[in-house]
Amino acid sequence: MIAAENLHVTFNPGTPLERKALRGINVTLHDGEFVTVIGSNGAGKSTLLGAIAGDVTPQKGVIRVGADDVTREKPSARAKRVARVFQDPLAGSCADLSIEENLALAAARGSRRGFGLALQASRRAKFRDRVAELGLGLENRMGDRMGLLSGGQRQALSLVMATLAEAKVLLLDEHTAALDPGMAEFVANLTEKLVKQHGLTTLMVTHSMRQALDHGTRTVMLHEGQVVLDIAGDRRHTMKVDDLVEMFRKVRGGAELDDDALRIG
Amino acid sequence: MSAIALWGAVELGLIFGFVALGVYLAFRVLDFPDLTVDGSFPLGAAVAAVAISAGVDPWTSLIIAAICGAACGLVTAFLNVRFGILNLLASILTMIALFSVNLRVMGRPNMSLLNRDTIISPFYDLGIPDHIVRPLVLFVLVVIAVLLLARFLASDFGLAMRAAGANARMAQANGVNVGGQIYVGMVLSNGLTGLAGALFAQIAGFADVTSGVGTIVVGLASVIVGETLFRSRSMLVALFACVIGSVVYRVAVQLALSADFLFLKASDLNLVTAVLVTLALILPKLKARRRAA
Repeated sequence: MIAAENLHVTFNPGTPLERKALRGINVTLHDGEFVTVIGSNGAGKSTLLGAIAGDVTPQKGVIRVGADDVTREKPSARAKRVARVFQDPLAGSCADLSIEENLALAAARGSRRGFGLALQASRRAKFRDRVAELGLGLENRMGDRMGLLSGGQRQALSLVMATLAEAKVLLLDEHTAALDPGMAEFVANLTEKLVKQHGLTTLMVTHSMRQALDHGTRTVMLHEGQVVLDIAGDRRHTMKVDDLVEMFRKVRGGAELDDDALRIG
Repeated sequence: MSAIALWGAVELGLIFGFVALGVYLAFRVLDFPDLTVDGSFPLGAAVAAVAISAGVDPWTSLIIAAICGAACGLVTAFLNVRFGILNLLASILTMIALFSVNLRVMGRPNMSLLNRDTIISPFYDLGIPDHIVRPLVLFVLVVIAVLLLARFLASDFGLAMRAAGANARMAQANGVNVGGQIYVGMVLSNGLTGLAGALFAQIAGFADVTSGVGTIVVGLASVIVGETLFRSRSMLVALFACVIGSVVYRVAVQLALSADFLFLKASDLNLVTAVLVTLALILPKLKARRRAA
């Protein structure tokens, strides 16, 4: 179980640039839940993710993983329970390291890093199998620099990396937003598959309402740092993108939908 | 250029090969522009000189010098990681402080070690000419250092260090304590430099507080020359390239200085080095611009 309780995050407090990103937000993810998060720019989606990952320290409130309070834990310490995939394909992997070196790095997440060889034969075989499952032919390029791959290939590998070591929660920060439509769909489906396969509790931020409803088991809408909609089960199954857009409009006080802020399709 | 001068250049190149390895670790692996080496190199020399004068075994003096150099790296890393002082500035602070420390260690600006036993002394009895024995012993030592370092960087811990330098955010997200990696990296880097300083003192037969000036530029020159000569993804090749780069650099400098038509004096060395490194830094950019045009 992952819980954010009464979370307050304000950037640049006490300055003209002050921005309240989260205003007493409460979200609880039960084990095995796959929650998609939507909301316009500045709604607090990425801040919520950042707070759970440890990049952002909240002024008020508590973050729990299981029974433990992790609010003050550094990102590197939190990594043993939290796996992540970033929006920017370049951010989630090391361009100068090879594919298998990147995988070895991710496989050791949460365990002590000793002086044993990172690329032992048994590990390499395992990495190769996992990469082969992607069906992208990358298993024959394990020694290639990560920087040689396309954004989509890197995101697909980032997902594999995030699921190599055990984690309590998987955080996905608009991880398909930077990809072309075909690759975005491939990565989204891969996400669904890996999450099921590993039974991961997942929080996925997305700009696309379609993606928010098509994937996962529950959808949360944020607005101005608070949860304004939280749907799961039958209500969510029967919901269409248009309904969601309508709700979104209501939340924003009837303001016209900003096309830049939100992709419907 | 005489054969003895050539072997002398190789010898110096091998000593500074240790510096090049340290600089590679800081600049390339950790992406930490570290000038501490300008202080940790003469500190290693000073410590070894004082230790040997006090009757300490030459090999032990190397270890003490390496530990003292490592401590300098620890200070720089501490200033940077703990207090968030800009990495370059943190290293300059340590470097400046070390000038005073080095004078204190020796109690005077320079110290002679002539006629003292060094790590090379036992090997002079092998029947090989002196000017060849020295580079031979140094070669063996530097190869050991390269192999150990390559093995270290191929470990889980070493891989984490490479990631910390290449993409700190990604490293953190994978549970790597980036600050901790900077500590270890700077300790290793300056430990190697302290060791080089001690070797220099023993083989040159003196320690001087000013001998550290430009260590970083020479180290960087070696790394760049090595990278230009050997383009490879293999860590082992990259590390050997640093050492070879250091030797090639010294031989090139020796050739330049002994070429009468260039009118160069030994005191022009720093200027020549700075110009060479600047050219090495500019050329790839110019090439890229021409390609883009």
